[in-house]
Amino acid sequence: MDKIIICRCEEVDLEEIEQTVNKYGSSARETKLRTRAGMGYCGGRTCRPMIDTILEQLTGEKPKDKIPLKVQPPVRPVSLARLGDKTHHE
Amino acid sequence: MLDVLIIGAGPAGLSAANACREWDLNVLVIDEFPQPGGRLLGQLHQEPNGKWWNGIEETRMLLEKADALGADIRCGLSAFHIEKASHGFSVYTNQGVFDTANLLIATGAAESPVPIPGWTLPGVMSIGAAQVMTNVHRVRVGNRGIIVGVNVLSAAIARELQLAGVEIHSMALPALNIVNEEHGHPRKVMERLVRMAHLAPSAWIRFGSQFAKIDWMRNLAVKFYPKHGVKMWGLPIHIRKAVTEICGKDQVEAVTICDITAEGERIPGTEQTIEVDFVCIAGGLYPLAELAAVIGCPFQYIEELGGHVPVHNEQMETPLEGLYVAGNITGIESAKVARAQGALAGLSIVKRMCRESEDLKQKIHEAKQNVRTIREQVTIQFHPGIHQGRLKMETVFKEVCDQ
Amino acid sequence: MNNRIVDHPILGKIKERKVISFTFDGKKYTGYEGDTIASALLANGIRKLRVHEESGNPRGIYCNIGHCFECRLTVDQEPGVRACLTQLQENMVIESGKRLPAPLKSEGNRDDLPRNYAEFAKKYEESKEDDPRA
Ligand SMILES: Cc1cc2nc3c(=O)[nH]c(=O)nc-3n(C[C@H](O)[C@H](O)[C@H](O)COP(=O)(O)OP(=O)(O)OC[C@H]3O[C@@H](n4cnc5c(N)ncnc54)[C@H](O)[C@@H]3O)c2cc1C
Ligand code: FES
Ligand code: FES
Repeated sequence: MDKIIICRCEEVDLEEIEQTVNKYGSSARETKLRTRAGMGYCGGRTCRPMIDTILEQLTGEKPKDKIPLKVQPPVRPVSLARLGDKTHHE
Repeated sequence: MLDVLIIGAGPAGLSAANACREWDLNVLVIDEFPQPGGRLLGQLHQEPNGKWWNGIEETRMLLEKADALGADIRCGLSAFHIEKASHGFSVYTNQGVFDTANLLIATGAAESPVPIPGWTLPGVMSIGAAQVMTNVHRVRVGNRGIIVGVNVLSAAIARELQLAGVEIHSMALPALNIVNEEHGHPRKVMERLVRMAHLAPSAWIRFGSQFAKIDWMRNLAVKFYPKHGVKMWGLPIHIRKAVTEICGKDQVEAVTICDITAEGERIPGTEQTIEVDFVCIAGGLYPLAELAAVIGCPFQYIEELGGHVPVHNEQMETPLEGLYVAGNITGIESAKVARAQGALAGLSIVKRMCRESEDLKQKIHEAKQNVRTIREQVTIQFHPGIHQGRLKMETVFKEVCDQ
Repeated sequence: MNNRIVDHPILGKIKERKVISFTFDGKKYTGYEGDTIASALLANGIRKLRVHEESGNPRGIYCNIGHCFECRLTVDQEPGVRACLTQLQENMVIESGKRLPAPLKSEGNRDDLPRNYAEFAKKYEESKEDDPRA
């Protein structure tokens, strides 16, 4: 066992990310879509910093400065019952 | 409707709540952890003057004050989404929606890992996980472990584990790979340790002063680093050994460790198996800012602050009217800085809600001064360039607001 | 159980606390009031909390503060509960996370949590329709 898992949620390893970047010359966003790295249950909270580093190393693509961070709701997985709960507190 | 909703009951959120209550605002603090205090709860280190910084005691003091001021703090609430609304903000949680005129996001930091083969096995945990288990829950994380990643935070927590009677075999670097560059390269690790040594507790000072601050000395220190490590509190710290693999079937049983060159390359034939039942992974902290991102607050990547940070000014205001940030979400610093920033953020919110008086103006001025002074004095500093980082952010805020 | 840190040179002696009983995968255990599910299980020597739904690889707590979701368990029939953020309660019935049969894995049968933005947006729009304010 010498695989280095990067995304724990989706079990994507370093080699797979490297191969994807090398094969498609993909951007950060595209790499995530292709490998599912960063798209798992935790919302990328555990693996995002590592993926940013890998892409910077492989493509020279620096983490973007001024654009709004691409984080989409929900920032915590939420069950349907709770999503439907629109009770407004006073 | 609330005057202020605060997400995060860490030192930043709690002291902000207290500041707002002093001016009689209607405040609610929510936190998903079962008890208030945030990451302050687990902290326990000795200051250079010999006094202990005890996070549980520090939290108790903040809570006593909050109680006296009648602040409403609720735990077990997770915020998962925020929307902008005509009244201000609607915050969606696992227990319904909260409407508020002002919102302070004080969600703190998260840990970034240094991945090595086998790090998903049960028994491998982040260094912060071990801190919380040990000092907050008072449960032993294992009988004997190893710490992967040598930095200020991991050294402090290694000591905490030791104090609690948990055996640590040693601290070593993660095997070098393209993700671990910063943490697996002996020279880079040494650079950072030496730059920190002057402001750290006594054992650190002794550790740091063994390696002079001159370049060539530091290089020699890396080159001739003792085979058995340098001991701090009797605990071997290795920067010329790396953990290459974590082994076990259903949980951690052992790690493989090997000697590395000054450049971090493995030296074949030096592999050794060490039996352990837990492993702590320490790759540093980054600001946990996802909630600010979902409402479209602009961000800036600033390395000295630990990564992507919501744009804000010295008063903790963001470019979004009514949205404030404080604590580690604005950059990785010690809990004392977070607490001072919280108080300042609270006063900035008061300023928006109440008529500005001379008294308030003076208080805000003092609170700002206080953040600066504390930043100068803290013992635990995560990034040596914190001042430059803060200056960069000031400039960015002005740029964003001019647009 | 000597997995508890009873005495501590600086933090002092641990307080007397009420004993709480619970089950994990059908077996009876005890913890203390104030424990999280994660701390009670670890104090009982249990590290493996679930297996990865697809690969079956074992997992336990990683961050212990709610960020990584590695500790998610089914608690009193509610799936996706973070053990490290949930306070232990009397008679809790806790189940480890299991591997899912391969054909089911992509059919949203894991539980009903939206796993990406598209799913979230869709469900969110649906749920908006019965918003009392709308
Ligand atoms: C694991 C860890 C260990 C640390 N150890 C030390 C140390 O030993 N010494 C030191 O000086 N610094 C340490 N730090 C740095 C620490 O971040 C600061 O010292 C300080 O605690 C920051 O205060 P804060 O109020 O900004 O955030 P925190 O203290 O982190 O508090 C933030 C709170 O927000 C809550 N929260 C986050 N997201 C949500 C959400 N979506 N919904 C509801 N609640 C949410 C969290 O549960 C948390 O309680 C550590 C940080 C981490 C992450
Ligand atoms: S670790 Fe990659 S999404 Fe959770
Ligand atoms: S261990 Fe990370 S969320 Fe519980």
